[in-house]
Amino acid sequence: MKNIYKPFKVNIVKIEDHSSNVKLFRLQKTKGNFLVNEKGTVFNPGQFILISHFGYGEAPFGIASSPFETRYIDIVVRKAGCLTKAVHQLKTGNQIFMRGPYGHGFPVDFMAGKDVVMVTGGCGIPPIASLIEYIIEYRKKFGRTYLIYGARTPSDLLMKDNFKKWEKYIKVMLTVDKPDQEWKGHVGMVSSIISDIKIDPLDAVSAMCGPGPMMDALERILRPLGISDRRIFVNMERKMQCGVGKCQHCTVGEKYVCQDGPVFNFDEIDKSWD
Amino acid sequence: MELIIKKDQIKNWLGELKKDFKIVDSRKKSLPAKQYFFPPKEGLFNFNKKTEKLKTIDNSKNILLIIGYLDELEAMTQLDEIMEKPHKDFFYWQKRNKSVLIGIIDKSFKVPKGGDIVLEKINEKEYRTWILNSKGRKLIKNKFFKKVLKPRVVDYPSKHKPFKEMLLDPELLADAVEWSWKSHHKIWDELAGKCLGCGICTYVCPLCHCFSIEDRVVLDDSECIRCREWDACTLPKFAEVAGEHNFHKTIKERYYNWYYHKFVRAYKEFGKSQCVACGNCGRNCPAGIKINDVLKEIVEDYKNQ
Repeated sequence: MKNIYKPFKVNIVKIEDHSSNVKLFRLQKTKGNFLVNEKGTVFNPGQFILISHFGYGEAPFGIASSPFETRYIDIVVRKAGCLTKAVHQLKTGNQIFMRGPYGHGFPVDFMAGKDVVMVTGGCGIPPIASLIEYIIEYRKKFGRTYLIYGARTPSDLLMKDNFKKWEKYIKVMLTVDKPDQEWKGHVGMVSSIISDIKIDPLDAVSAMCGPGPMMDALERILRPLGISDRRIFVNMERKMQCGVGKCQHCTVGEKYVCQDGPVFNFDEIDKSWD
Repeated sequence: MELIIKKDQIKNWLGELKKDFKIVDSRKKSLPAKQYFFPPKEGLFNFNKKTEKLKTIDNSKNILLIIGYLDELEAMTQLDEIMEKPHKDFFYWQKRNKSVLIGIIDKSFKVPKGGDIVLEKINEKEYRTWILNSKGRKLIKNKFFKKVLKPRVVDYPSKHKPFKEMLLDPELLADAVEWSWKSHHKIWDELAGKCLGCGICTYVCPLCHCFSIEDRVVLDDSECIRCREWDACTLPKFAEVAGEHNFHKTIKERYYNWYYHKFVRAYKEFGKSQCVACGNCGRNCPAGIKINDVLKEIVEDYKNQ
């Protein structure tokens, strides 16, 4: 009988500071590479893993690296609770445990052939980053692609080093609530962002992550652009313990974020009572 | 032809099974039978901080569990299904696979909905044997069970439970519970005022199976034990994430979520309500809330809307 709760050991091979309280951790298997699925990827963009740091607990994290990368997995960790504070203390060369990937990611086959508008804020970038890598790999399969990435201040924007590469393939639009003197991007989820987006609303999809700017972006950008709720896919966050549909912590109405999500069709999830 | 065991022989029969099983009698326990396979708290993994070795804790036991109520036997069948799908719960099946469930029922019934062997009282001195599977069959090949052509059968009727009949239409219950929330039925505000959010109803429920996973470190920091323990969806922090955002802030949401899980989500997932009308929740609720009265009111109002 397979033990669904047993995590396996991974090596931390790289740590990067991404803001005052956010670090990126690169994880490598102790032996060999990560296995690929039937689609030729290590995970589907939007899927998550559970990270274990024994003594501090276990929690879910979105994967920020490319789904085609078999040598390592990147996670982005914001200091928020006991576990993440302990993870921040770790050094390159330390080991940690993980299990997964779990859940369903973004419906990349449904999204193929369409224009894509990705919206996220602050710490919601990891699953979107892996989706961007997927789109870049199959660039010709996707239409006009935009990333709208918002944060409180310019220093809260994460994965900045990737922006240059991404800009070669997709349009990256950054926005902050509190700009500094050098800031040249947008301020707030302003409707002026719309004028820079050229899509066919009837043949466009949206991918979102993070509660922060989501509702704002929905009201001010996605709906005015004419993208229907049924073509908006959101990556949800909930408390999670087991990751395999048993413990009941992550439910949204009749759905389990761990099993049925974490990516949901917005139209479907919007009708849920909680 | 019936397979009969004499009442005074049951003890001797169980005595003989002692060599293969740890015999547990759940009939006088306040917590339901689930506790033997899904304990209130158990260690799952042991992590040695020095050697960094991770060991799965072996909790397997050969338990022979005696259950005194049909509802509880039925609940065990349902719990097996919950712990089986979509993935086998390793730690539950580690114990459950090796166990035997024996029902000793003092009421007459038509068909038992669970257990491996069920003994049904047919007169003051005898029990008739229901063998439900091969696990049960292995345990009756001995001198204690005798074939009797026409035993004397006395009827021991159960108390009529209207709530049990309500459970026969789980679709109506699912629709009514969902409707009650969407239509802002006053009952949820009333119950939010009454419910203490203590979680007792979930602990005594033979089907509630929410849990949390927590790491415990021994005092000298040499090892860590990853534990799983019962949780309750009515407790304040059940849906709270790091950073203190709570997805079910109010007791009203949390208490409704309990009903929503049992009668709506469970119906959509398994095609039935996660309730066997045992009445444990009502008997043990310190605020005196009776789940059957709540459902009765909701269903009546739903029908009359």
